[in-house]
Amino acid sequence: MTQSIALFVDAYRLLNARRIFWFTLIITGLVVLCFALVGINDQGIRIVVWDIEIPGVNTRTGWTPEFFYKFIFNNLGIGIWLSWVATILGLVTTSGMFPEFISTGSIDLILSKPIGRFRLFITKYLSGLLFVVLQVCVFCVGSFVVIGLRGGVWLPGIFISIPLVVLFFSYLYAFSVFFGILTRSTIAALLLTILCWFVIFVVQSSENTLLFFVKYQEQKVAAYEENLERSRTQLAGVENPEDRERWDFMYKTIEVREERLEEARDSGSGVRIAHSILSGAMTVLPKTSQTLDLLERWTVDLADLPERDIDESPPVITEDGEFEANEAEIGLAVRDEVNSRSPLWIIGTSLLFELVLCLGAGVIFWRRDY
Amino acid sequence: MANGSIIDITDAYKAFGRNIHALRGVDLQVDAGEVFGLLGPNGAGKSTLVKILMTVVRPDRLGGTMLGRSPGDKRALAKVGYLPEHHNFPSYLTGRQVIEFVAAMTGMRRQPRRRSADRLLKRVGMWDWADKRVKSYSKGMLQRIGLAQALVNTPELVLLDEPTDGVDPVGRQEIRDLLLGLRDEGMTVFINSHLLSELEMVCDRVAIMVKGRVAMQGTIDDLTADSRHYELRIHGSAPDWIDSLPDVSMQSDEHGTLLRINGREPDGIQTLIDRLRAEDRTILEIRPVRDSLEALFMRAVTEGGEGFAGPGAVVGDEGGRP
Repeated sequence: MTQSIALFVDAYRLLNARRIFWFTLIITGLVVLCFALVGINDQGIRIVVWDIEIPGVNTRTGWTPEFFYKFIFNNLGIGIWLSWVATILGLVTTSGMFPEFISTGSIDLILSKPIGRFRLFITKYLSGLLFVVLQVCVFCVGSFVVIGLRGGVWLPGIFISIPLVVLFFSYLYAFSVFFGILTRSTIAALLLTILCWFVIFVVQSSENTLLFFVKYQEQKVAAYEENLERSRTQLAGVENPEDRERWDFMYKTIEVREERLEEARDSGSGVRIAHSILSGAMTVLPKTSQTLDLLERWTVDLADLPERDIDESPPVITEDGEFEANEAEIGLAVRDEVNSRSPLWIIGTSLLFELVLCLGAGVIFWRRDY
Repeated sequence: MANGSIIDITDAYKAFGRNIHALRGVDLQVDAGEVFGLLGPNGAGKSTLVKILMTVVRPDRLGGTMLGRSPGDKRALAKVGYLPEHHNFPSYLTGRQVIEFVAAMTGMRRQPRRRSADRLLKRVGMWDWADKRVKSYSKGMLQRIGLAQALVNTPELVLLDEPTDGVDPVGRQEIRDLLLGLRDEGMTVFINSHLLSELEMVCDRVAIMVKGRVAMQGTIDDLTADSRHYELRIHGSAPDWIDSLPDVSMQSDEHGTLLRINGREPDGIQTLIDRLRAEDRTILEIRPVRDSLEALFMRAVTEGGEGFAGPGAVVGDEGGRP
């Protein structure tokens, strides 16, 4: 225990000695301070003493102060500051931890002490998360107090972002540690980590986009099927439907609809295959965005969402057989599909990936001669 | 464990890849309470051996014991202090923090490690600099902190890799005194150094490694016993009868004649002195002579390492690791 505490204290001293840590912490404080400067009223948003009228964003349209603060906390505080800017600064700060730790003259001394290599690796790994733990704790406590005092809304639910943001950072930190141990280079560790993050981001975004197209194609197929069924019913209801000469235009319409349906099914199956491939890749890769999205899922009750004008008109097949989608409905279907993925699957598979990466790094660390 | 041996390792073998054989069956004994020196040219495998003992490098084969336990046993390592050759203490720590961190890594609790750090900071002359960051230290100061951290857990065995590296002559003298003081306190000191004259002054026993093997091992007196002889300088030229004496060789110069008499016992030269004095020859100087550690080292390198080509790694069956 003494050794583990010493390693954590050492990690704190390392952070303490780095200006970028304090720079990030100060910016975090400023972001929290910003929460004290904004509020919502029946006209719009109030910044310090200035009221800005925003149609649709005021208490009259269902934006409760609680929802407003949750919104800016989740989307600006966590969504932009902690999950992008602070994360990059965190990676810059921590990417050198392992390369420096295993450098000649430094690792010799530590390995000569009565501590197992694996325990040493795990403890050092966890101590590297100290950066983000401190940042997100300061951010959450500050936000909780400021939002409570300024807005009169006490949101204990925001503390769930501490483990979520730490988890999110740990996925990337695992890359940094793996590459740091493999290459012994801080720069290589940082650049390769950012590259992997970018790849994950691209895969996640592509998967989301393809999911939209899958739902689009499903809606299209369903619309053509429904339209075709309606045409067939109409044809069945007419007098003497076998009279092809008389009802030729209806037969032709059905024929065109059948062709369109077949085309929609074909292209739909192509999109589905592409989506399945990306979905499979996503299953393996750490789910950075989806982990942070859990914050919104857990802290925002959908019933509290402000009312929005949603186009409830059904998708249409025009006279000339063209499909006009209801994109709002597709968006909701995509959201439902994304929300149907269980937190256990999102976090579990991501942690599994992190574990595999850590095991790889741990084995290299354990086997290497220094 | 051999009787009184702190380190008693056998058949230490380590290869890096297929071609670099750093250690090729090293047997080494270090007795309790002695100052032991490990010598050898670059690439002989000294650092690899020390790193194996400190579990920094994993051996391919290793038998024997260290502090009565298998080499690498954590309970044994808790009683060992270590100063690596190219130590690199975190620049964000102060000297005191370095010592206390190392103490904590050996499992010492807070109060004992603070007391120990204070005591050692005074002992190595770094008390006034204790709370300054190590990035502001000179090489010599870093070396002093390095020695202090190696001693913080009051080890039974302390391994020092080039302990006087970068230290000025006064500092070296202080470190020598410190090492002898440690021996007097009952600590076993294992030094790996290139500075033969330094080692000669402090070591009770030495081992010379060449090409991954121990070429010689013993006290300096024992190892140089065969080279012992007397040198006797007389005024003028040598008498003719000197040529007929066995074990005596001579060399003349402008200062007179230098006679070299082989043999380690002083009795052997008494008759020669008597004969010279009987002829009224002036004896300018008589002194016992033995090989220096440097000469011994050179002999071990040239004899023990057939075809040794000089510093650097020797690859393949013939050599060690850089």
